[in-house]
Amino acid sequence: MNTLTQSVKKFRRTPAFTGFVLFTIALVMNILMQGINSGTPLAFFKPAFYGSMLMTNAPFILTTMAQSLLLIVGLFDISIGIQLALVNVICIMVPQELGLPIWAGWLAAMGANLLVSAAFGACSSLLRLPAMLVGYAFTFIIKGVNVSIMSKPQGKVPKEVYLPYQTLIGGVLPVALLVIVAIFLMWLLIKRRPLGKHLYAVGGNPRNAYAAGISPVKVQMQANLLKGFIVGVGGICLTLMNASGNPLQAEDYGLRSLIACILGGMGFGGWGSMACGVFGASFFVLIQNAVYYFFSYLSKVITGFAVSTYWQNLVSDVILLLGLLVTIITAREQRKTLKEGLFNQFKGGEARVSR
Amino acid sequence: MSAAEHRDLIPWYHPKKLLISFRRSPPLVAFALSALLFLITILINPKGLNNRFIGSLILLTTLLAISSAGQTIVLIGGGMDFSVGAVMSAAAIIATYTMDKQDSVLIYVQVLALSLLMGAVVGLLNGFFVVKIGLPAMIVTMAVSNIITRLQYVFTSGSPAGWAGQKFVDSIIYRFFDLIPSIVIYALLFVPVVFWILNRSRFGKQVYMVGNNRQAAYLTGVRVNWVIIMTYVISGMMSAFAGILGAGYKATARVDIFGEYAFTSLVAVIVGGTTFSGGVGTYTGTIAGALLMTVLSNLLTTLGLPQTMRDILNGVIIILLLMLYNRSKAVRQ
Repeated sequence: MNTLTQSVKKFRRTPAFTGFVLFTIALVMNILMQGINSGTPLAFFKPAFYGSMLMTNAPFILTTMAQSLLLIVGLFDISIGIQLALVNVICIMVPQELGLPIWAGWLAAMGANLLVSAAFGACSSLLRLPAMLVGYAFTFIIKGVNVSIMSKPQGKVPKEVYLPYQTLIGGVLPVALLVIVAIFLMWLLIKRRPLGKHLYAVGGNPRNAYAAGISPVKVQMQANLLKGFIVGVGGICLTLMNASGNPLQAEDYGLRSLIACILGGMGFGGWGSMACGVFGASFFVLIQNAVYYFFSYLSKVITGFAVSTYWQNLVSDVILLLGLLVTIITAREQRKTLKEGLFNQFKGGEARVSR
Repeated sequence: MSAAEHRDLIPWYHPKKLLISFRRSPPLVAFALSALLFLITILINPKGLNNRFIGSLILLTTLLAISSAGQTIVLIGGGMDFSVGAVMSAAAIIATYTMDKQDSVLIYVQVLALSLLMGAVVGLLNGFFVVKIGLPAMIVTMAVSNIITRLQYVFTSGSPAGWAGQKFVDSIIYRFFDLIPSIVIYALLFVPVVFWILNRSRFGKQVYMVGNNRQAAYLTGVRVNWVIIMTYVISGMMSAFAGILGAGYKATARVDIFGEYAFTSLVAVIVGGTTFSGGVGTYTGTIAGALLMTVLSNLLTTLGLPQTMRDILNGVIIILLLMLYNRSKAVRQ
């Protein structure tokens, strides 16, 4: 067997395969729709276009990556969306109200979000409360804090600060993409270290992990702090993108990032990787784009065809549900792998040798 | 029987035992906490203790208890129904749109039939997808619920749709003796049905079994998938019924008007002692949880705090409530 087919086969068995298939479908659809709609077949590949798309969606993609990290240890946080707004609010208000430099605002925002993440970790891991309802309660708390810091949308970021984020390096490489890649590399690094193994061990079965000498509470806290860091980066990206503050934005990112992770092939605990999050979030974004182009094309071709954005949203959401349906087929290989893995465990590794 | 043995049988001779059994009964804790919070509310604002206040408390508790019934059954069966809020809103829109200020038996029947059908279809979709996709129920029902909400937007173009008939509205908010809201009549019809389903019917026993141990239920001959799908269908229909009542309470309906009930119902059910892991829970607990959530929200209103403080306090209190008795087992055990 040559190495290419072997590596393809290997890839089919990884959790990210589901997300990859969906992502590819969405990407092709988006490229086609946009090409048809604009008349230039390769409109998608214009740096200005994909640059702005990555820039506007980087916060969502980063949030989903953070969510996927939590899912690996068997937790999830639906207040993650409003946490972006918290970072955004502090980034804006610290320089504006206290007269401190902008980097101080960023540091304060990052610190605040790490604190929130630690508190979430304390509630969900240390006190062992259901993560979903803790997230629900945290949404209220953070919303209240956000509005008491900033009562209404306001503030601005100096041009020399946000412009670098919105440019393309060498005219082709968006800075937002670099941020995402940097976070992803960080994940790859962590995955290779003992912490990476511990994350999966705790997510897979906390009791077994505990018996093996890993402290589930400690590992889940570490995952929460890492999540807090990534969300902090996402919040700063959001601030640079909007160049203003809004205390109540992005709340729906919490639930959306969770759906995106599952679409990308994550399971609840010990299954999946950050790549799943990236693929899932990208699928989300690309489908919405593709549907938008599809409808604007229809309204061009058919005279008198006009539909509200409500229809577009409906079609996108139906496609998302179909995406979940597709995972039945695409995840078959992985579920088989998972079962074989379990089998190997029971056999004490003998089965692996004979195969 | 000696005097000492006789005394053993009377619970209040053993305050410590009594306390333990009290703490092990989430409905009791929830009722007690409701009473406590109610007392605090009255102490803060003695003038607030009037017929109007108590009437609205009963009304909102009844509405929440009815809308949480389906959620209770689904959670006991080991699932989770996130579409309660969306189905309620959709049913409310169907009700107000169909009634359009008119009252007649025919229209009531139409509303009931259409809404229940809608609820059943949504429940069927939920159940089918949960069983067939094999993904977490939370995610699947969330995706379905999003679609229901989008459909509402498409249907109403985002503006309020119609008005409920006046007589129907009166049948919800009229106060007997100037105190008890007439929605209680619906509850008197509805609540026994839920109790019958969960405690007396064969299906109810099967739901507990499936929630407790799916494998064991399958091996004893329970059609597990069918039971799971049916819990979602029942939940959808019950949510739709709650939505109709909600339409009477609000008199008009707009998109996602009851969206928050997705979470409020969940919190009420969990606070009432039903667990996420399935197989455990009672509807009495859910009613207690609904009362607690309503009293809590009243207390927060009475405090007269700014919205930001209310939000923060609300979140903190939910966490405290969860800490009280909804902790999962320690890993070490």
